[in-house]
Amino acid sequence: MRKVDIIGVAITRFGKHVGTSFMDLGTAPVLEALKDAGIKPSELGAGFCSYALAGTLFGAVTAGQTIFWQAGINRIPIVNLENACTSGSSAVYLAWTGIASGLYDTAIVLGVEKMVVPNFGLLSGGNTELDILEGLVTPASFAMRAVRHMAQYGTTPAQLAQVAVKNRYHASLNPLAQFRDPITVDDVLNSPMIADPLTRLSCCPNADGAAAVILCAAGKARRYTSHPIRLAASVLQTGSYENPIDLVPWETDYRTCKAAYEQASVGPEDLDGAECHDAFTIAEILHCEAMGLCPTGEGGPFVESGATCLGGKIPVNPSGGLLSKGHPVGATGVAQIVEGVRHLRGEAGNRQIPGAKVFMAQCMGGDKDADGRTCTANILTR
Amino acid sequence: MNDVVKPVMEGIFDLGPPPKLIGGHCPECDRKYFPKPTVCPMCQGPVEIAELSDEGSIYSFSVVRTRAPFGLPQSYAIGYVDLDADRLRIISLLDSERLDQLAIGVPVTLRVEVIGVGNDGLPCTRYFFTPKG
Repeated sequence: MRKVDIIGVAITRFGKHVGTSFMDLGTAPVLEALKDAGIKPSELGAGFCSYALAGTLFGAVTAGQTIFWQAGINRIPIVNLENACTSGSSAVYLAWTGIASGLYDTAIVLGVEKMVVPNFGLLSGGNTELDILEGLVTPASFAMRAVRHMAQYGTTPAQLAQVAVKNRYHASLNPLAQFRDPITVDDVLNSPMIADPLTRLSCCPNADGAAAVILCAAGKARRYTSHPIRLAASVLQTGSYENPIDLVPWETDYRTCKAAYEQASVGPEDLDGAECHDAFTIAEILHCEAMGLCPTGEGGPFVESGATCLGGKIPVNPSGGLLSKGHPVGATGVAQIVEGVRHLRGEAGNRQIPGAKVFMAQCMGGDKDADGRTCTANILTR
Repeated sequence: MNDVVKPVMEGIFDLGPPPKLIGGHCPECDRKYFPKPTVCPMCQGPVEIAELSDEGSIYSFSVVRTRAPFGLPQSYAIGYVDLDADRLRIISLLDSERLDQLAIGVPVTLRVEVIGVGNDGLPCTRYFFTPKG
């Protein structure tokens, strides 16, 4: 397998893009990523476009071809991809496999979603499966993990809330994040209850947003850029669906992160920062444990200690995370990688992790039989 | 006119009384499933219809306070119930009339009633578990 670098990145503001169409929202970061990489549309070998909801919300079909052509990209294989919350990181994985295997030398990945629309309500996993029909809304699936985590390890509501407080502080340093005003533990605990014990400020908001990355075979990256970032591991996994399966610890999450560490030949102690799928406060605690940043069960005290805050031992979600940026589902997994590239390039502004060299982007999506349907872990190095 | 209320999903329970959940059993792997799969995912062999236990205990749960989907009660509870006799952990609605009695480990029994609406927007029967006694 060949080594793969990231040579260009771009991201939009996350939030409401009322006057911008879904297609135009996606086109902007594609154009910007091309410029950032110093590559021409005709030099790209493949394109991947991820969106999870636009088919349902706007009737979008093969939108990637339209968006990429708006940026001058044609005559190459283009794939549209939906993989729940990991749609974007799964698209990165596909681009990585194609370049690593030698099929083509360059590929562009776009993640885009426009979901701030009237009556959107709660994100659900579809309406044909029994768990959904019995009332399993997404916040409830994570709330049940929180209930188990609290019972098994003594995790407190204040520790859960601290995840949202910390990520909001990070967002205050990120001009592209949706919600940037500081919040307190009391604010989180006193916001309306959504699914016990998760309050509104414990759940990520909806957002419109898009992000793009351009990948290149490592040996050819310096034709385009003087500062390539190595995509040292790209792993996509699915659940085991064993029954009975424990909600915590989450085996699929551990398995995915472990495979990424092995592929990149690094360990959790080497990480300088991480983005993870903090769709809910409990999720970040679970993912910190799965990434090996702290022992199983100690994610609550770990966030409370300040270890995961900028300036701490291992900053987690320096972008503000899904909790503050919002979660434009198809864009999220790409946006996490853009964040990592920014830190490794030293371009993260006020939220820069000093001297960052190794960064993990973890994402997870979909519920099935008390497991996750999809889990990704990407590791960036320089 | 057919005024029989449909189940939330065909073939997953018998109304009884007493009501019973209908799952599947793979004789080769001696594993049970709920709902019954087309074939056993472990060995791809045929799966028999199997009645499941109507008693279990709460593994985890949450009370959903936000807007309820499918016309479910406002607020309602959802949980994973361990059917120890079947070695199965299944998703289930929990009794929304007894929210303050829900906790990890609480023994529960099966009931089926008309609750909310189905995918077609019409009232339907749903299974749920309620604390014993």
